[in-house]
Amino acid sequence: MTELKITAYKCKKCGRVHYPKHERCLSCKHREFEEIKPEGNATLLTFTQIFNLPWGFDERFLIIGVAQFENGVKAMGQIKAEDAADLQVGMTMQASWEPIRYIYGEPVYGLKFAPM
Amino acid sequence: MRDVAIIGVGMIPFGRRDQDTLLDMLAYSSMKALDDAGLGDKGVDAVYVGNMGAGILQHQSSVASALVDRLSLLPAAAEAIENGPASGGSAVKNGVLAVASGYYDVVLVAGGEKMREVTGWRATDFVATMTHPEAEYPYGITLPGMAGMFTRLYMQKHGVTPEMLVEVAIKNQEMGALNPYAHVEMMITKEGIFESPHSIVNNPPAADPLRLYDACPVSDGSAALVLCPLDMAAQFTQNVPILVAGFGQATDTHTLAERDDPTDLKAVRLAAQQAFERARLTPEDIHVAELHDAFTILEIAESEHVGFFKKGEGGKAALKGKTRLGGKIPINVSGGLKARGHPVGATGVAQVVDIVWQLRHALPEDRQVKGAQNGLTINFGGFGNNVVCFILKRVEQ
Repeated sequence: MTELKITAYKCKKCGRVHYPKHERCLSCKHREFEEIKPEGNATLLTFTQIFNLPWGFDERFLIIGVAQFENGVKAMGQIKAEDAADLQVGMTMQASWEPIRYIYGEPVYGLKFAPM
Repeated sequence: MRDVAIIGVGMIPFGRRDQDTLLDMLAYSSMKALDDAGLGDKGVDAVYVGNMGAGILQHQSSVASALVDRLSLLPAAAEAIENGPASGGSAVKNGVLAVASGYYDVVLVAGGEKMREVTGWRATDFVATMTHPEAEYPYGITLPGMAGMFTRLYMQKHGVTPEMLVEVAIKNQEMGALNPYAHVEMMITKEGIFESPHSIVNNPPAADPLRLYDACPVSDGSAALVLCPLDMAAQFTQNVPILVAGFGQATDTHTLAERDDPTDLKAVRLAAQQAFERARLTPEDIHVAELHDAFTILEIAESEHVGFFKKGEGGKAALKGKTRLGGKIPINVSGGLKARGHPVGATGVAQVVDIVWQLRHALPEDRQVKGAQNGLTINFGGFGNNVVCFILKRVEQ
């Protein structure tokens, strides 16, 4: 499995997992966090197939969703699928770290999810 | 704190306004509001301008300084307020606070956006810049995409159906067709966008499960209003003063993923609660509302979150005609963002202007909510992470 180069933040007081970064815990306002990486497979929480893309994308469409990893990290990612009709909320997804877009020919890396 | 009244309003038709610059539009709506307020050649103490994208779309900064000069309102204080699609609501709120505090007496608030001078590709990217720069934006997520993800969950949890969304689109475009300020003046039918085999061509998927006619257009436009203490209103105008009875503003997590329940529009709920408490009114007291229907799902969800309907009942109410003119609570009689259009910085001001016209009883019969005394607006920034609510009240003289 490729290394997923995002860092999430687990509150050292109440255990709430944050991604992206916050200076204080959203639940208890504590300021100390343990840095953690997404672990295990992910459960698809919601998704959409977008046909009107923003500047910088040449694809015909993008499928994007939010998934929750086994250690509680929730994150957005692009989904490898041909059609949103092939997906369901609650599916198990495998995450990888791959180019998600190109800016002036240079790849920008991020999360991709594939149904297992 | 002083009671604050809206004594003048102005708007220019929304749409594609190739002939006008952003500054032209702000100036035209402002002059209408100043004249409507009866200010004549008198000055104002301060000018607040709601605008989200001049820096990106027009490569222009300091639009409030430019406007106050264009209007010859010097040396009035002037500042632009950027708060995403809630920029207009935030500008009105800051104007209200300035007058309520006693620091300024007469304040002009204008909101404007010029979005059609860039391609749709660029406009979509511009709007997407409000998403999280690390955890959302790089993936190509758009605001329709955020709404699509929200809709999927809201449908599952609260029983909203595609037919309910279609009803909102049809209603708002019917009302827009009657509104001379609306961007979209075209009525649509259920057969054309939903029932016919050709509907997939007429109304293709945009951000699944949302389709083309679930989304508002990309618009140019501007609206403005003038505020003063309620007890000074009669010095300027014979217009029925409209009291800003209450406002509320609340925020929520930047990313949708971090919300405990992404279908709970917490900022809408809290902003409305604050406004109702301040106004000492309840949802049952509201006679007309302008909700932020950038997507049809939002009109239904917001109608539930402000308290007009219980969770799961907003879509059913729309199907039964309860949100139409003549219904229990007419929503988006202007056509809403769906038909009036959504020049992002203008929208929050335009919503207030439309409610002022309703409460003045100044609209033609086919758009007037008879006898309306109290109105509500919801201006929804980000994807619900910064929301401004106003409750306005007609003051009988």
